[in-house]
Amino acid sequence: MSAAAVTKESTASERCTIALVGRPNSGKSSIYNRMTGGNARVGNYPGITVDVLEAELELPSGTRAVVADLPGLYSVEGAVERDTDEGVARSFLDRLREGTAEKGRFVVVQVIDPTRLALGLRLTRELAKANLPLIIALTHKDILASEGRDVDVARLESEIGAPVVLVCARDADAKATLLAAVDDRLRDRDPASPRATFDPAAVARAVVRDVSSSAETKRRRQLTERLDAVLLHPVVGPFLFIGLMALVFAAVFLVADPVTGVFDTLIGFAHGGLDRLLGKGLLASFVADGILAGAGTVLAFMPQIVILTVALELLEASGYLARGAFLVDRLLRLLGLSGRSFLPLLMGHACAVPAISATRVVRDPRERLTTILVLPLMTCSARLPTYALVLSTFFSERSALFRAALFVGLYFSGIFAALLASFVLRRTTMKGKSLPLVLEMPSYRMPQASVVARKGYNAARRFLRDVGTTIVIASAALWMLLSIPMPGVSREPDAPPIESSVAATIGHAIEPITRPAGFDWRIDVGLIGSFGARELMVATMGVVYGVEDAEDDPAPLATKLREAKRPDGSPLYGPRTGLALLAFFVLACQCMSTVAAIRRETSSIRWPAFVLAYTYALGYGAAVFVYQVGGILGIP
Amino acid sequence: MVDGAGSSIDVHEANGRGSLASATIGTSVRIVGIVLDSSVAAWLAAVGLQEGEEVTVLRRAALGGPLHIRTSSGGEFAIARELAAHLDVIVVRGANA
Repeated sequence: MSAAAVTKESTASERCTIALVGRPNSGKSSIYNRMTGGNARVGNYPGITVDVLEAELELPSGTRAVVADLPGLYSVEGAVERDTDEGVARSFLDRLREGTAEKGRFVVVQVIDPTRLALGLRLTRELAKANLPLIIALTHKDILASEGRDVDVARLESEIGAPVVLVCARDADAKATLLAAVDDRLRDRDPASPRATFDPAAVARAVVRDVSSSAETKRRRQLTERLDAVLLHPVVGPFLFIGLMALVFAAVFLVADPVTGVFDTLIGFAHGGLDRLLGKGLLASFVADGILAGAGTVLAFMPQIVILTVALELLEASGYLARGAFLVDRLLRLLGLSGRSFLPLLMGHACAVPAISATRVVRDPRERLTTILVLPLMTCSARLPTYALVLSTFFSERSALFRAALFVGLYFSGIFAALLASFVLRRTTMKGKSLPLVLEMPSYRMPQASVVARKGYNAARRFLRDVGTTIVIASAALWMLLSIPMPGVSREPDAPPIESSVAATIGHAIEPITRPAGFDWRIDVGLIGSFGARELMVATMGVVYGVEDAEDDPAPLATKLREAKRPDGSPLYGPRTGLALLAFFVLACQCMSTVAAIRRETSSIRWPAFVLAYTYALGYGAAVFVYQVGGILGIP
Repeated sequence: MVDGAGSSIDVHEANGRGSLASATIGTSVRIVGIVLDSSVAAWLAAVGLQEGEEVTVLRRAALGGPLHIRTSSGGEFAIARELAAHLDVIVVRGANA
């Protein structure tokens, strides 16, 4: 076949796939960013929970190509599980080879850090053995050049039998170089098969002599060594780690707050506008209190999601996350988790929703799922208004110390319950070998701003699309339960309308079940209302008791709750009702947003259902226990 | 199986032998045997830890946590002590060499 004919053939408008593979920390993400200019969407591959970013571009020949950034992997041969990063990358490659994912052809570009060439070439040999159409992209051309060195590209090509390009992700021409190589490879209809028999270490020695002793590498290694001497110091290291985590935590808590406030104000304006436009009818209420309130909840999460994602990416890209995991690994391993789940568990104290997406830093799939399943037990900030209401209702006469101790006790109950649950889960449902802990400790480096920004943007967009819609739907459904009158139910003329709602009917129906915990139908309605978000407990109870704006000033509601009487004149609730309610709130996953986030991260409805079932069972059990034991102890 | 907390290898003795988990900080050792499931061993080899590889122990995390090691082919890793206990090594260079 003549060269001209071949060229013509390959410029046809078929689409091809460029799969980027490489070891973790090989510089693959920077190359991807350079090739695509930061564009990315999360590819939609059924059953794959790890993100595969992809973007479309045009090759010099005019062929359209999709670049897919696969998760980092060490090996395509070892028996790895499907849900791990390696498993995902492997099944992606298998699918490409079988031609089921994309019609047309594909090229595998392996990104290698030439300072660790021997390690990279092991993977090359495996890819060659699998007979994949291969191009090698050596990164960090700038570092090699600054050392006055070069990789013998021609020699490397002939040793491994595949095209090799030397690029630097920070150079603008890296993209052109790579795409030209891809074009050449596609044009070549009868390429030589890569060799699968070379010795990686020997080849590495032959083509780059002694890189590790060069001045630049030495300088970089010294920098990493000096930083490690401090950051991994047996005494100083853990303190710095705790300080850094506290900083991230504070950022999520404090920086997110004003932004959320601005969104609240905007929603408030929209609410007012709707009132004027639609009047005070049921429809206006549905749009304002159902749909718009749901949208407000979604927006309230956005700053937290973005800040946490950016913080995590900075920690990961700078190389620190691996160090933090190293420091606390032992502690968490006792519970069947590892160092990587520390940050998500900590974040759960601000809000479970961003924490659930932060579990992506956990590599082991079983460990990740376990972390997700126990996260709702952490004392998130949304529980605080309810805690405060209960404390001011039933314990306002007690000393400040007593109330503070109770508060701290509630926090630790959450942590203790989560640790216990993960301990049990790892020995039952989540049983199985963990991935052996071999964690790469990359050299420290400066994160690239564009990559970090892109991650934050993607996280926000994904949250809007996947979790946001579920929250709005659930919010609308809850509105119906609380606002639509139950057909055939009449109420006293001066009773609030919520007494004839579907929720009230449900509350009355389940009262016999919740009575052992001291909850009457009104509390049950509050629990139904607070499934939207825990902090809605206060507002819903306010509606039940006809107290306006209870969420802004809970004192009148607290008084009403204290003074509520049974028909026989005895008080309706006592301190033990409060304690039982607290026990329930510590444990139960009263949060549709968390449920939606779990559904998205596990791509199933089985796990969110499991979380609801086990946390409600625990919450109910604990509430009954506290109420009954309280009765035996003579607490009113 | 050898426990990670076992006695440390005597670095003064040439070719002192033991598990990676018990190697003294600062010593360079060569992996001479991997007593593990073949699939785990294959994965370790892909990562860069296989027989013949030279490894320097940089530090250990507190409370029996992982080891921080550097391989001669240029990688640094944290490896769980339980796993390191399954890697037989001989000392190549002592801590002060």
